[in-house]
Amino acid sequence: MTLPLHLVAGLEMATLPQQVANGILLGSIYALIALGYTMVYGVLKLINFAHGEVFMLGAYSALFASWWLGYTPNNALSGSSPLNLFLMLGFSMFACSVVGVVIERFAYRPMRSQPRIASLITAIGLSLLLQYGGQLFLPSAPAPNIDSKVNPYQGNVEIPLKPKDGAFVAKAEESAKLATVSKEAFDTYIKTSGRDPFNLDNEGLALRNASQEKEREAKALLDKASDSGLSISLPKGQLIMFFTTLVLMAILRYIVLYTRRGRAMRAVSHDFDSAALMGINVNSIVTFTFILGSALAGAGAMMNATFLSGTKIDTFFGMLPGVKAFVAAVLGGIGNIPGAVLGGLLMGVAETLVVWAGYDAYRDAVAFVILIVVLLFRPGGLLGSAKVEKV
Amino acid sequence: MAGGPAKFWLVRIGSIALAVAACLLLESFAKGQSSFVQRLMLLAGLYVTLAVSLNLINGITGQFSIGHAAFYQVGAYTSGFLAAQMYAKSGLVGAPWLVVVMLAGALAACLAGLLVGLPSLRLRGDYLAIVTLGFGEIIRIVVQNQQQLGGAYGMNVRPLIQNVAVVWLLAILCIAVCRNLLKTAQGLRFLAVREDEIASSAMGVNVTRIKVTAFVIGSAFAGAAGALLAHFEGFVSPAMFTMDLSFIILTMVVLGGTGSITGSALAAVVLFYLPEKMRDLPNIPMANVIAGLISTVVAVAIVKRAVDTVHDRKARIPRYALAAGASLLTFFALGLILSKAPGVSVAPSIEGAKLRLVVFAITLVVLMLLRPQGVFAHHEFSWSWVNKMLGKKDVPQTEVAA
Repeated sequence: MTLPLHLVAGLEMATLPQQVANGILLGSIYALIALGYTMVYGVLKLINFAHGEVFMLGAYSALFASWWLGYTPNNALSGSSPLNLFLMLGFSMFACSVVGVVIERFAYRPMRSQPRIASLITAIGLSLLLQYGGQLFLPSAPAPNIDSKVNPYQGNVEIPLKPKDGAFVAKAEESAKLATVSKEAFDTYIKTSGRDPFNLDNEGLALRNASQEKEREAKALLDKASDSGLSISLPKGQLIMFFTTLVLMAILRYIVLYTRRGRAMRAVSHDFDSAALMGINVNSIVTFTFILGSALAGAGAMMNATFLSGTKIDTFFGMLPGVKAFVAAVLGGIGNIPGAVLGGLLMGVAETLVVWAGYDAYRDAVAFVILIVVLLFRPGGLLGSAKVEKV
Repeated sequence: MAGGPAKFWLVRIGSIALAVAACLLLESFAKGQSSFVQRLMLLAGLYVTLAVSLNLINGITGQFSIGHAAFYQVGAYTSGFLAAQMYAKSGLVGAPWLVVVMLAGALAACLAGLLVGLPSLRLRGDYLAIVTLGFGEIIRIVVQNQQQLGGAYGMNVRPLIQNVAVVWLLAILCIAVCRNLLKTAQGLRFLAVREDEIASSAMGVNVTRIKVTAFVIGSAFAGAAGALLAHFEGFVSPAMFTMDLSFIILTMVVLGGTGSITGSALAAVVLFYLPEKMRDLPNIPMANVIAGLISTVVAVAIVKRAVDTVHDRKARIPRYALAAGASLLTFFALGLILSKAPGVSVAPSIEGAKLRLVVFAITLVVLMLLRPQGVFAHHEFSWSWVNKMLGKKDVPQTEVAA
């Protein structure tokens, strides 16, 4: 029995599950960044344009941490340990929190009494400043993932979705056995006759052709057997990344829903002025929000630089992920925490599917298309309440 | 206004003649200059057009568009495409051909503006900003993937026409349209939309229509400017129209004062010329760059405190002097210390050209912190203002901008 997944409209449907899985892994990074956008928007009603640059600085922190741990491009250590990765993650999260707090304290807080557009322009200015000003001081360097020894989790994990057809597998095994037998016969012939394999007599040629024929047959049967099943293979590092993301999100959920500060955060997000009147230290809550959001961006940046395939880190590293994560936040409903996660995953899947469909030139444009469609037809996002100002 | 219709038309025709004469004078002046100076004059004119046209959208109508480079690009590519298809057949040369491509570029950008504006102008504030940014990027990426438009490599545009007069006439036309618009009842509707959308719609203003009109007019001028750009650069590519360009135009409008035509035009010239000048700077040692950044922070901190705490403007002057002194002192002291510091002294020095966008970014942030309404705020240049400055008696005139 064969699967009904053939070439449909020129697309290789059998690779669809693999693409969706890749998209979800990519989307988990977008989700981490989107959480920062959505939380800051929730409490301050400000689009933190500089969040992508916080992400960029997080990638640099991870890079510098890996250098301090000894993984300089010229100095290949023999291997890594989860502890090193953990140190990189921690440093990156810490550095990003500091950057987030500094940005909030010195750029956004003085703007709070001004119209929202003024804050937005400040955010754009900061983003440009970090991109171009950073260029003066920060090197453009290969990402840690190039030096694969930073990442101890090499190789792929196969996840079977549908078992292979037993009959095909048996046939393939049998044929493989036959191929081995005929290969051995050829080898012993070479050994006993002492002939040069490139200068064979008729008997040798016959044996060799038979062996090659069997081998081809075995390979074709093996392909058929593996086609009868369906499995996806995922890099181990990216799976670790995905589970770390889940853990971080669980921690965030706990903080927001079950702690005093989380409750204060929700109150500030609900009504800034009333929260202040109720005795909540609004400034400290805003700072706390920036710490949480930036730390998540830092974690995302470290994992992006270590586990996802990328080439180099420069000061524009955060621009596209930042924009895509912002779109993810809007898609899920800005200000809504589960929405940001959902939006991030959907963005990742949308991006890989666009590439899969053969439009890889448009992989960055798809984010904007989604953004515009969402804003025009469902401005509140998928999970958000539709309270966007309209005329 | 005093005077009959005769005086009215005299003033009108006189100003047009004056503008044309000034542009022709500029052109004859440019002829004698090096090609670099000519280029500067051409680009400055285009930036004035871009800034004033964005000011119509962002300043006068109070919308927040940050995708202006896209319309500039539409104009540039339209004129490039038209030149490739039609130039040989048209039989036009020089300025008349420029006028034709300008109109074509404006028309194409107009349509693009309508396409972008109609759906997105329902949104407000930061959402509108993001959508215009998104549309800008989409237009750029789509053009980048059109092989008949040269793809990512861009395309050559022939003929090369460097006509300073036409460029500056466009700038003056743009300024005149915006200024005169504000003197009409229609123009007051634009201002009303900026001040309060709900109230103005209650007063019978068709808010969406006003916004789309502003957007389309602004886009059209950007498109016309793009058409001229294509013909004097002789080349267009998607890399010329990135988000950075939109942010640069935005900085000009914000610096000049959102809503002030005078401010936008002046800021466009200053913000275009200063960074161009920075290309000529010799390499700057790392120590001086760091010292410069830190002394800027010091100056901004002192001025910010003065602005926040001292309400009498005259009483702020000693604080400004203090800020200048402190930042100069910081600059020299830090420069001296850092140039001896082990890590910094060996760091490679930095090219002046690399600092251009840093200057834009710092301008934006510092401006927002110290004077978010921009240098000119809503004020415009007027003769009564000059007279007041010169100590003469104020000549009564109808004041339009609030």
